Amino acid sequence: MALTLAVLLCFASGYFIAALGWPRRPRPSDFAVLDSLAAGCGLGLFSFVYILSRAAGNNHLIATDLAVFGLFLVAFLLIRSRQPAQVSGPTENWQASFAARRILTAVFLFALAAALYAAITRVIVHPHGEGWDAFSIWNLHARFLFRSGSAWSQGVSPLIPWSHPDYPLLTPGAIAHFWTYIGHEIQAVPALIAIVFTFATVGLLYSSLTLLRGRISAMLASLALVTTPFFIGQGTSQYADVPLSFFVLAAVSLLCLHDSFVESGCTRTNRLLILVGVNAGFAAWTKNEGLLFLAALIAARVLTVIRGPASNTSVPDRTAILSIAPLLLGTAPALLIIAWFKHFIAPPGDLFPDRALAIHKLFEPSRYGAVLRWYGKEFLRFGEWLLIPGTLLLIAFYFALRKPEPQTRRLAPGFATSYLALSLTLAGYFVIYLITPRDIYWHLRNSLNRLFLQLWPSAIFLVFLLMTPTVKIPAQISGHLPPATPQ
Amino acid sequence: MVTQQPESNWASLAIVVFVLCCLLSTVRILGNAPRPAPLQPDSVARRSDQRFASLKTALPTRGVIGYIGEPGNAGTADYYLAQYALAPLVVDNSENHFLVIGNFPDQPNEPAPANLKLVRNFGDGLALFSNQEAK
Repeated sequence: MALTLAVLLCFASGYFIAALGWPRRPRPSDFAVLDSLAAGCGLGLFSFVYILSRAAGNNHLIATDLAVFGLFLVAFLLIRSRQPAQVSGPTENWQASFAARRILTAVFLFALAAALYAAITRVIVHPHGEGWDAFSIWNLHARFLFRSGSAWSQGVSPLIPWSHPDYPLLTPGAIAHFWTYIGHEIQAVPALIAIVFTFATVGLLYSSLTLLRGRISAMLASLALVTTPFFIGQGTSQYADVPLSFFVLAAVSLLCLHDSFVESGCTRTNRLLILVGVNAGFAAWTKNEGLLFLAALIAARVLTVIRGPASNTSVPDRTAILSIAPLLLGTAPALLIIAWFKHFIAPPGDLFPDRALAIHKLFEPSRYGAVLRWYGKEFLRFGEWLLIPGTLLLIAFYFALRKPEPQTRRLAPGFATSYLALSLTLAGYFVIYLITPRDIYWHLRNSLNRLFLQLWPSAIFLVFLLMTPTVKIPAQISGHLPPATPQ
Repeated sequence: MVTQQPESNWASLAIVVFVLCCLLSTVRILGNAPRPAPLQPDSVARRSDQRFASLKTALPTRGVIGYIGEPGNAGTADYYLAQYALAPLVVDNSENHFLVIGNFPDQPNEPAPANLKLVRNFGDGLALFSNQEAK
């Protein structure tokens, strides 16, 4: 009963966060995006509420959750009446026969079922997670939060080596929140949260691409993700890399949806940018790499705006400039909590113990060579694919199907921002490896594949978006799926 | 099959190859999945929560305690599993505390360090010591 209530409150609150940011009254084709977002946003919110309740000495968690839920419900009801009902369902870029669609759907469902089967059996065999980080970092932090009560911050101790007490607390906070409802620890909670994040990422990739490019693109892209063995393995390992990949994808896909909404003349799109900021904030509250992504996203947005509007779009200058403000507004709650946590609770991180030495390492050419070689190697193998690297496959598929574009064509601002943000994040990882105080090869060997995985769903999304020409989400009211749009 | 006008045949071929290559990795996902019968949980619970259950009742509920264990990679894993089981106690991998856990699952007859006094032996290489010289 308590668990059911917790799940309902978590999902419903997450849904309201997503729906509040949605610029139109949700249509059937929107619900899959909103439901996928609801899972992640709900868990992020549960983490915030739990940590803030603990910090404030508030022991009435259910009452707090009900109050938060009520606030979002009221806001949702108020805003829903003002949301425009324009814009129709998804647009299909690729034509396909009925039989071909059926075959592709069957193949996708088979791959999805195989991934789900593998995920479920893995969490049964590894209920405490697979790999040391699960029980030495993430679930350990959840236990400290749940078992310590008001003294929870004692667990954020530098005396426990490699427990990374400076790591943000999104997944541990969400786990401890559910445990508090149940009254005791059950390992099914972190295991289920891991599965939810894994398949919500697939759902978000599928549903957002369905809106932007149609179901065939969405199925092919989701197939590429769901058949990445490392994604399924890590997703159920109870690490935080797949939850981070979810929030990165959420920010990226919402930015690109923003482009389409603006181009189709939809008003009130700023709220979607707030939602982008909220999800980027959740990314920063999931792992320190998420903080890097958040900084990269803001920098990328500013650079995109400075560079000017896309020449082939109708997005005006002023809109682009103003778009930075709602983005920053959305990140504010997470940034405030992270600043408080890092400044008042957590000890300093272990990556920057000696700044002079770090700067000295930046001038060692051999370190650049080492990181570049590992980037090259991991690019081909991080997904643990069988025979054909998924990265190469995606690139080959892109070049096989892309259409020549006029040289004057410029990328839409959301796409350009996303692409630049991911590139800056990769560059940031590169610099971290250059200055790492640890053995550089040990560090690369133990983390680079997971860092690539954090960006993999978003990379698939952007490649499929780029592969098929830009589509305006039709502005007219339509109750049926429109025919394929010749480009 | 699937067409992206006007290069329909080329697009169909590309999609078929793409799908088949993806499905190859599904074979690996299924191959890496645990066998369905019997699905036995791994040893984490046995080496952490179950192993330290009786010791936990003899420890304070909060604070910091010391820890000594076996050297090497296995010893490091044992330390983290001890910390995992005993949270919210902070387990410091050091003898310099009044209460010190001795955890020697592979060498249960390991002699205690001279500066530590045995408080209680829980068997199976698990013991609680006191260190009167702890600062």
